Amino acid sequence: MSFIKLSLQNMLRRKLRTSVTLTGVAVAVAALFSLLAFQRGYQTGMRDELDRLGAHVLVVPKGCPYDAASTALHGASWPCYLKYAYLEQVRKTRGVSVAAPVFMNALYEANGNQTVYLGINDDIRMVKRAWSIEGSLPVKTGDILLGAAAAKSLHVQRGQEFDLPGLEGAKGRVCGLLATTQGADDNFLYMPLADAQRLFNRQGQLTHILVRLQDPNSLEDVVGALRACEAGMDMNIVPLTHLFRTIQSMVNSTRLLLGCIALVALLVAGAGVSNTVLMAVTERTREIGVMRSVGASMGDIFRLIWMETVQICLLGGVVGVAVALVGAQSLEGWLRNRLPFAPTGTLIHPEVSIMVACLAGAALLGSLAGLLPAWRASRLSPVEAIRAT
Amino acid sequence: MADSILVSAQGLTKVYNRGTEEVRALDGVTFDLQRGEFTAVVGVSGAGKTTLLHLLGCMDTPTSGELLIDGQSTRGLSDSALTRMRREQVGFVFQHFGLLPTLTVMENLTLPTLFSKKEAKAYANELLERVGLTHRRNHLPNQLSGGEMQRVAIARALINRPQVLLADEPTGNLDSANGEAILQLFHQLHRDGLTIIVVTHNPILANATQRQLVLHDGRLVP
Repeated sequence: MSFIKLSLQNMLRRKLRTSVTLTGVAVAVAALFSLLAFQRGYQTGMRDELDRLGAHVLVVPKGCPYDAASTALHGASWPCYLKYAYLEQVRKTRGVSVAAPVFMNALYEANGNQTVYLGINDDIRMVKRAWSIEGSLPVKTGDILLGAAAAKSLHVQRGQEFDLPGLEGAKGRVCGLLATTQGADDNFLYMPLADAQRLFNRQGQLTHILVRLQDPNSLEDVVGALRACEAGMDMNIVPLTHLFRTIQSMVNSTRLLLGCIALVALLVAGAGVSNTVLMAVTERTREIGVMRSVGASMGDIFRLIWMETVQICLLGGVVGVAVALVGAQSLEGWLRNRLPFAPTGTLIHPEVSIMVACLAGAALLGSLAGLLPAWRASRLSPVEAIRAT
Repeated sequence: MADSILVSAQGLTKVYNRGTEEVRALDGVTFDLQRGEFTAVVGVSGAGKTTLLHLLGCMDTPTSGELLIDGQSTRGLSDSALTRMRREQVGFVFQHFGLLPTLTVMENLTLPTLFSKKEAKAYANELLERVGLTHRRNHLPNQLSGGEMQRVAIARALINRPQVLLADEPTGNLDSANGEAILQLFHQLHRDGLTIIVVTHNPILANATQRQLVLHDGRLVP
């Protein structure tokens, strides 16, 4: 016989009541766990995605910079364009190391499939430094570099000629295969910039320019210089660290709100646990009197009731974490459809540290919720407790 | 001779306040009990028998007067000191047995050792054998008869080897056969030298003791 066993047996005495109380804790902990895991996943995913983009600054047409950044990251058709002539001005700006022009367009098939074409030139290699290509970049007319996922869905090999999806009568030859990047790049078809402009009737136009700086610490100066250049009024200069910070602050605002809701849920659950254990103390007053008469001290009674509360909360925490883990995939799918700037990586990122934090939170909740019932039980006079009916 | 006195009550008085009303449950009760004595406390309902037992069991403290158990006064003792006395000096048996329903016979029996932190497995087995319930060790209280439950309660009261066994109406909830079995058990324990004090309305049990303390309106009848 031990205190743990005794308090466990007490906890299991009223299974339905304990289950309902435990469910309250589990729901609150599941919400907290999902929130923290989402926050971690979103942050990591967004940072990885921006890293994969390889640029320090994104130059896009005038309009919403977040829409433009999201389009550049995930691939879509653009509503407006940059003049190719702006590229030279960007390149000449002091502090710019590389300016890689991109023309992007997406075509949609009747079945809902989307094919994203990107027109690029050699400069892209200076930006996408992590790319690993089997073969070569698209240089000659008709060359196509395939992202890993695109190659898989089109079932084509290197050197093979194939019909370009969505472009009737147009053919391409696979000049290279891009190793998986775990990002949106895997889904794209890359062709020479001139081919893309010609195929989509946008000669002399670009959708965006990826800019790398000579020194990332000079970001503010370079951004200022780009905005001050002749074409500055016609371009949107988007520093990606700023973009990351802005999106992150939007996410943080949402997290704060959701965090408050999770906290309220935890407090309500804690109050529920406290109330349940208080009821149990009232029901078991006579037993507490018996224990006092056979030698239990006030501290022993406090410990026993307090442990019972902690056990309920800890068990609720374990159930909550388990439910959150099982439901992570469904939640991810639901969230992805509702978040415009969601990164391509895993959105819900459960980590051991988050699990430990949630379980510690549940234990802390139990510790606090158990104080009142434990204090009340320990203060019962042995005689009054024995006389209780 | 003084060494043979285990319990000494000097002018024990206990007053309860019920709202504005003052209830004098015990009023200047004085007596000595020898070691190994088997005593009954008798009297009509409300005479103060259970109050006296609670004071003797260190479950409560007197409003005035002094109680010495094995020479140690309970006056002014803290809750933890009273708890220690309950743990080490006293064994308590209740009319309603006071067994915890979720614990087995063996777990109920060893419950006091959880608080005294003593290892008493072998002694628990011995006690279980003594009360004739070895075969019931893993049963829950709701699987036992009233007599069996009371025997478990007595064994539990003995597990910490107390100086004195206090029993509040131990046969009050039992039929006559079970009552007789409990009486025999008390006789056995008395023969082994244990000091026993029982509060009872049962004349058979009261007459079987060596001495009777008769209470009336909180006073000891001479």
